[in-house]
Amino acid sequence: MSDWAGVFIFLVVALIFGAGGIVTSFLIHPRRQNPAKLEEYECGLPTRGPTWVQFRTSYFLYALLFVIFDVETIYLYPWAVKFQSLGLFAFIEMIIFIFILIVGLWYAWKEGALEWK
Amino acid sequence: MMPFDPSALTLEMLVAALGLGVLILGLIVPHGSRHGLGWLSFFGLLGIMGVALSMWGDNRELLSGMYLLDNYALFWKITFMLSAALVILGCMRYVDSMGGQAEYYSMIIFATLGMMVMASAGDFITLYLGLELMTIAFIILVCFRKMEAKSVEAGMKYILLAGMSSAVLLYGLSLLYGLTGSVIILEVSRIIALQPVTPALVLAVVMLVAGLGFKISAVPFHMWTPDVYEGAPTPVTSFLAMGSKAASFAILLRLFIAGLPGIWENWTMVVAILAAVTIIFGNLVAIPQTNVKRLLAYSSIAQAGYILVGLVTATEAGIKGVMFYAFLYVFATVGAFTVATYFYHVTGSDELKDYAGLSQRSPLMAAVMLVAMLSMAGIPPLAGFVGKFYLFKTIVDGYLWLVFIGLIMSMVSVYYYLRVALVMYRDEPADPTPIKLPSPVAVTLIVAMVVTLVIGIYPGPLSEVVNEAAHTFFMH
Amino acid sequence: MLAISLTHYVVLSALLFSIGLFGVLTKRNAVAVLICIELMLNAVNINLVAFSKYVTPTDFIGQIFSIFVITVAAAEVGVGLAIIIAIYRNRLSVNLDDFDWLKW
Repeated sequence: MSDWAGVFIFLVVALIFGAGGIVTSFLIHPRRQNPAKLEEYECGLPTRGPTWVQFRTSYFLYALLFVIFDVETIYLYPWAVKFQSLGLFAFIEMIIFIFILIVGLWYAWKEGALEWK
Repeated sequence: MMPFDPSALTLEMLVAALGLGVLILGLIVPHGSRHGLGWLSFFGLLGIMGVALSMWGDNRELLSGMYLLDNYALFWKITFMLSAALVILGCMRYVDSMGGQAEYYSMIIFATLGMMVMASAGDFITLYLGLELMTIAFIILVCFRKMEAKSVEAGMKYILLAGMSSAVLLYGLSLLYGLTGSVIILEVSRIIALQPVTPALVLAVVMLVAGLGFKISAVPFHMWTPDVYEGAPTPVTSFLAMGSKAASFAILLRLFIAGLPGIWENWTMVVAILAAVTIIFGNLVAIPQTNVKRLLAYSSIAQAGYILVGLVTATEAGIKGVMFYAFLYVFATVGAFTVATYFYHVTGSDELKDYAGLSQRSPLMAAVMLVAMLSMAGIPPLAGFVGKFYLFKTIVDGYLWLVFIGLIMSMVSVYYYLRVALVMYRDEPADPTPIKLPSPVAVTLIVAMVVTLVIGIYPGPLSEVVNEAAHTFFMH
Repeated sequence: MLAISLTHYVVLSALLFSIGLFGVLTKRNAVAVLICIELMLNAVNINLVAFSKYVTPTDFIGQIFSIFVITVAAAEVGVGLAIIIAIYRNRLSVNLDDFDWLKW
């Protein structure tokens, strides 16, 4: 119990610290509007068009490829941790595994999934 | 623990290498000369089948039971490779017109690899990996004609429902793991036999039945089947109907008969009812169908019901019946669907009314369709009769009502199968130009027809092989 | 203070699984259905890891299983999203009620 009390107090203090600033400034700030205050900050660009636009599907293709290749590296970690004790056989297995992934990448490249159209 | 012997995985490695090789060759070879890839896949699979035959009688457990090598698994592997090879042989012209040969053939080979892993799976992880390898390859194949809305829609329905059923199956497997502390099927079986039946165990079994029931399209879980079968490219449909279903039965037998024999009396009635409902529903709904692919889809649901009968008694005879029926079902399906594939390739239609007068346009196609359908209906001199005989023989004691349902529904099925025959043989064709068959298609059709006839008349040798295979099932 | 036991994990995973299953059966947006399938798979992962810790503390088979589930789920979602992109290009919709060209 006492071990976690510190964490809990830390959490409460952090919340008060963050929320307190926002609440205080909301309570005491002067309420005067002028056009200059509503403009973009310094060199920011004015927004154009609606915010909820659809993204190009090219983004999704990249994201898909990324997710797949990214998740497959999960298998490299256990192998890397136990690299010394697993020996040569596991090394060859991992080379084959990576070779298969490279074939996949090669295929994606050749089919133009990496081109920005 | 024994050291791992990689040579035990020869078949799987060869098939994986073939699939990768086809994919890589597709990247190198120019577009115009890719039809050779079909022949490469076909002969590659035949060659690996030769290697498989030489491994007959090699019964081992690898990695303390995670991977099982026995005649049972080997028989299924040969069945899968045979069906893949026949599908490839029958659809080369169709694929050439569709494009994307390298992806198509390599996906078929990878799906075959997934099925082979399933047949040998001795633990839940291997089972799941094999199942998903097969399913994902099939998803890609189903929506292969990506410019055609029907095909993509079928793929979408398939992936959503397949994903859901895999999740349900996995949840059941995770519960079993939690209850027994092991993922190895044979160990799970030993531990479960010692435990009382708890609600959690019942829930796990229900989830396994639901998840695998989807894969074999047993009735409450069948709703994806007609849509996906109709929307998918026809050769894919045929491979889905036999390969995917056979592999799911292979794993269903392993999981229930080898893994859960201790609580046999708890699931056997569920399976019997599932089989009865599937047989009744599949046959009755097939009657009003006007699209040949949809008709075959419903008939394949009914066939799944017949095969499920072999699971009810959980004996060696039942396993034998399942394997025998699945083997001959491959040939009947290849025959019927290759006719449908090539008919679609020529006329662009799957509607039954366009099959009018097929016997005048191409006697071979009409004859093969007739033989395949009569075999599925179980008419005596054909293979389907022997298969149904073996299946129903096992349940005569104790499940006589199921035998009656099977018999009555077989008669019902004769009605809609013969309707197709009538359209093909009696009606006059709207367009009497003869259909010329390219020789690979003709060879596929003749092989399918001859095997169906020969097994029907002379079932002895296959029956003996299946006996030997089913015998090794209980050896571990 | 209440100690966290196996029951908590199993209840959490059962809830998550039920929410996912409910979503799969009721959502009409294809992407939402895919997300719900992911929920179900993650419920399975919680189960596996919890059982691995409490039932078989000495070997890690459950955790290994969940690694495989994670990677396969990623591959499945990859294919699923690719199909959704293809179908969106065809029909300009991801609403499942619109996909009625085949009888559902």
